[in-house]
Amino acid sequence: MKTMSTVSHSGTGVRALFMPNGMGLHVFRPVRWHMLLGVVLACVGALANFGLLTLSGWLLAGAATAGLAGTVAAQSFNILLPATAVRFFATVRILARYLERVSTHDTALRLTGRLRSWLYARLAPLAPAGLVSVRGGDVLSRFVSDTDRAAAWYTDVGVPCWRALLCGLFFVGVFLCLLPLAAGVLALGLGLASIGVWALVARPVYGLMQRSVESHTALQTELADTLQGLGEWLVLGTMARQLATLGASQAALTRAHRRIATREGLAGSFVTLLMFCTALAILGVALQAFHAGQLTGPEVPMLVLGNLAAFDVLVAVPGACVASARTQLSAARLVACGADEGAKAASAPVVPVAPYDLEIHDLCFSYPNTGAYVLDHANLMVRQGEKLGIIGPSGAGKSSLISLLFNFWPVQGGSIVFGGVNVSATDAETLSSLISVASQDFHLFTATLRDNLLLAAPQASEADMNEALRIVQLTSFVVALPEGLDTLVGNEGLRLSGGQARRLSIAQALLRRTPWLVLDEPTEGLDDATEQALMKALLAACPRTTILCISHRKSVLPFMDRVVRLEGGRLWPEGEKT
Amino acid sequence: MSSASNTGKGRGQVAALARTARGWLVASVGCGAVSAACLVGQFVVLAHVVDDTVFRGQSLWAERGLLVLFGACLLGCIGARFASDMAGTEAGLQVVASVRNALLRHLAKAGPVACVRLPAGQVLSVVDEGVEALEPFFARYVPSAAMMVMLPLLILAVVCGVDGWSFVILACTGPLVPMCMVFVGYSAQKAMDRQWGYLSTLAGSFLDALRGLKTLRVFGRTAGSLERIGVLGDAHRRATLSVMKIAFLTSASLEFFASLSIALVAVVFGSRLLAGTAEFRSAFLVLLLAPEYFAPLRNFSASYHARQNAMAALEQIAKLQALPELAIALDAEEVTAGDHAGTVVESLRCEHVGAEYEASATVLHDVNCTFRRGQFSVLSGESGAGKSTLLSVILGLLPPSAGRFCVLDAHDLPALRSDVCMAYVPQRPQLVYGTVADNLRMGLPHASLEAMREAAHMADALEFIESLPEGFSTVVGERGSRLSKGQVRRLALARALLRKPDVLVLDEPTADLDPASARRIASAIRQCVAGRIVIAATHKAELVACADQVLDIADGQVMVRAVPGDSLAQPAGEKEVCPA
Repeated sequence: MKTMSTVSHSGTGVRALFMPNGMGLHVFRPVRWHMLLGVVLACVGALANFGLLTLSGWLLAGAATAGLAGTVAAQSFNILLPATAVRFFATVRILARYLERVSTHDTALRLTGRLRSWLYARLAPLAPAGLVSVRGGDVLSRFVSDTDRAAAWYTDVGVPCWRALLCGLFFVGVFLCLLPLAAGVLALGLGLASIGVWALVARPVYGLMQRSVESHTALQTELADTLQGLGEWLVLGTMARQLATLGASQAALTRAHRRIATREGLAGSFVTLLMFCTALAILGVALQAFHAGQLTGPEVPMLVLGNLAAFDVLVAVPGACVASARTQLSAARLVACGADEGAKAASAPVVPVAPYDLEIHDLCFSYPNTGAYVLDHANLMVRQGEKLGIIGPSGAGKSSLISLLFNFWPVQGGSIVFGGVNVSATDAETLSSLISVASQDFHLFTATLRDNLLLAAPQASEADMNEALRIVQLTSFVVALPEGLDTLVGNEGLRLSGGQARRLSIAQALLRRTPWLVLDEPTEGLDDATEQALMKALLAACPRTTILCISHRKSVLPFMDRVVRLEGGRLWPEGEKT
Repeated sequence: MSSASNTGKGRGQVAALARTARGWLVASVGCGAVSAACLVGQFVVLAHVVDDTVFRGQSLWAERGLLVLFGACLLGCIGARFASDMAGTEAGLQVVASVRNALLRHLAKAGPVACVRLPAGQVLSVVDEGVEALEPFFARYVPSAAMMVMLPLLILAVVCGVDGWSFVILACTGPLVPMCMVFVGYSAQKAMDRQWGYLSTLAGSFLDALRGLKTLRVFGRTAGSLERIGVLGDAHRRATLSVMKIAFLTSASLEFFASLSIALVAVVFGSRLLAGTAEFRSAFLVLLLAPEYFAPLRNFSASYHARQNAMAALEQIAKLQALPELAIALDAEEVTAGDHAGTVVESLRCEHVGAEYEASATVLHDVNCTFRRGQFSVLSGESGAGKSTLLSVILGLLPPSAGRFCVLDAHDLPALRSDVCMAYVPQRPQLVYGTVADNLRMGLPHASLEAMREAAHMADALEFIESLPEGFSTVVGERGSRLSKGQVRRLALARALLRKPDVLVLDEPTADLDPASARRIASAIRQCVAGRIVIAATHKAELVACADQVLDIADGQVMVRAVPGDSLAQPAGEKEVCPA
């Protein structure tokens, strides 16, 4: 098996067949015994198959020899023992293969779970700056499929490759006990087949797969662009052009798929070719040994069948190589997404102290890779307990201000000091215990209304929740639901209107009872009466809370003590409330 | 997953799709048959050679004729198998490409109004992953299903000629396999259906958590949610595994029969060989053939989930295909600016127009109105009143359910809709990934920089475009996220104006904008009214104030409000001139 082992060290492509790449072994460590169990079961299945075929071959040939030798020999031939062994191997094969499938899939699912937790922990500190979607639409669902694929490394790559390696060595060992020369021939055959698979698939497939993924991403982007702008393109008459572009991307994708399939098919054919060539060579070698008296007659067909069973473990390897490229690409993407993880301050966050005043001094900010400054030497002072309204033209950076307050994006100049602490010296988790935000882009989880509220404030009691719902004018809506607070909402559940969802996010923020409350366009999508009732109830409920209300609706501003206007990257006083 | 009632329909769809790649499928099955024949031949020769050399004292050299035959069979088998695989792959790829193209063309013809009937994101995922799921079905499942019939029958025939007992064993165990697979598959399906909702919620939980990451961070709950992900992930694993444990019994039953029949053949043949009532040659051949007898069944069962995925995808695809098509000619020559000299559109008229999305809920009743050249009409009303619906009717994206909508020329004679150069600025205009110029040229493919500057100027977009780092060559990010909403809308307005349209339609051009941006947009729109029909839907006062004609929409009724100083109000009793 020398050839095989040299192959396994001759490149990263081969290493990826046996070791999970990239993600860091600590992700896989806790499930290593499960992983080992799956490989063991797979090997047991392959060995039982080998045993079943070789023993059956020997049994038949032995019985035939004894039968031909006459009645005495026939009677002295003990058929019971091999027959029992054949049945034993058959049973083991059935059980091992079933258990292998259950066990490996269980392990793969465990791995998926571990990978997801690992990924989530890496992504969380980066959100939202690190999660800006790249070209090609939904970066988040790609994380989902990438974790699935990276975990599928185990079932699709790891298990078949380890089985091929371990069982291959074992089969050669068995042959070695019977006839060293046959063992040499088998090792040579398996080795050549491995090299062939390596040259035909393992080496080139990574590049091919990369190209295929690229064309697929391009196609996805164009699909998303086309479908989202369907009305516009139709009326503008550019649909035919869009379809032609899509057709071209589709053709590129088809080409890439075809190339990979060809490589895989060729490698499979090569393995089959070598399987039978080795079978003939082993027959020749065994016959020679038979004539020389080194082997008994029945051992000759047994070795031939053993060779066929031995090659069986290689049959899955070309497919495993293709899967390996796929999982490698997924793993690489997962690793890349958290690359600047270490960049975040390792030092413990500084905790702001009362009074929780906010001081923004000469703040300059632009989103990465854009030239324009959203904030340009902006200054603002907010005392604890103040109710401040912020208005300004759309796109002026009102919502960016909230992200900066939580230190989500790095600023280019100036400082934000909250409670005597520069926010860059602390972290979002610390700040969130002091500031609650009802933001425009908040996420409604697929869970019950109650769970969504508890997600924001785990300690909230039933009474707290009802009170919060009363303030945001949602009581009648919730009461009318047959399942009340236990109604499932979100993607899989009841869909809330924009105004309802917005109000639910305000309720979430209220439940957290923090000294600061930031409301981003709180009344968007509400009619005037509800808006007034909501603002009145809100202010009555939080007399001492500092409230920052961002809006472009003038109607909420009378509820504020002071209003500033954000325009041209700066904040201007809009006039005190009298 | 297709339920019983849908399988018939699914089968029809499959047959229709198979026809698009019939040549490749036939080639795949044909080559598969050749490879099966070669495989059997190869084993027959091998059994002969082994028997001759071990039991009849022949040397390998004496068997050279047979060895050549063996080599020929081997090459034939491998070559034919490779060809069969490639042909199958090609069939799969062709089906995917053709289905995707056809689906896109259909969606384009159905238009956005029909598409929004389906949940957001579903259309994209069906066209992307859904269609992709058809590939393994045609590439692997269909050829392996054919193989499953051919190879076992061939082997049975050969075994029948060789040995009666083995024939009985194989002929009895073979048919039991599919029966068991169907039975177990049915139980697995039931287990799956039982917890379908639970499974899909759990399966979506990670994506849900990722989507809510910013919200969780703002609430300081990332640590708690990490735990939640672990718990939900584990619940998902256990639920999935409980289904898999049953589903994997299909392959276990296959293993059972395969192993059983090999063991039976070996034991039964063993005792007969011992008694001298059988030949080693046939015994060895049967032993070689027995695994191959079950191998196609194994391949088939391995590709069975390809069928399930494909059937689920086909069900979704059928939903898209069921969307009604509009009378839009996609392949019509793209209009170039000022090239629509044939007819000059003077007015658009709705006569007793009714509109509905589904047969049950009528959105608009009996709408009568006229939009004239040089006139700015505003559709006003609460959100949900039917403003966008009327716009869709005007744009031809929604056929009226009653009455008619007609295009009239200067002599009040009907003109064809395709003669009208329309432009549309939706509420959320779509920017493509590319430069500002690329986006503008979506309106007019080969527009000159001069034309673009002019259009941008008219749309009040020139100033901000030129303040961008690279002007018209600035790349605008994904979905135009680096421009403000107002800027995106002005860019889309410029794109629309680049076509020098006869009819300009705008949906909520000032929504979500602060008053200053809204005023800029409103005055830009007002600028373009000269010489064309401009129609906007809005619920904002700024636009209503500068309209020539206001149509108040409430409860599905449209009231034409005469604006002071407007002499163009529709005269009553106009003669009907629309073609039927």
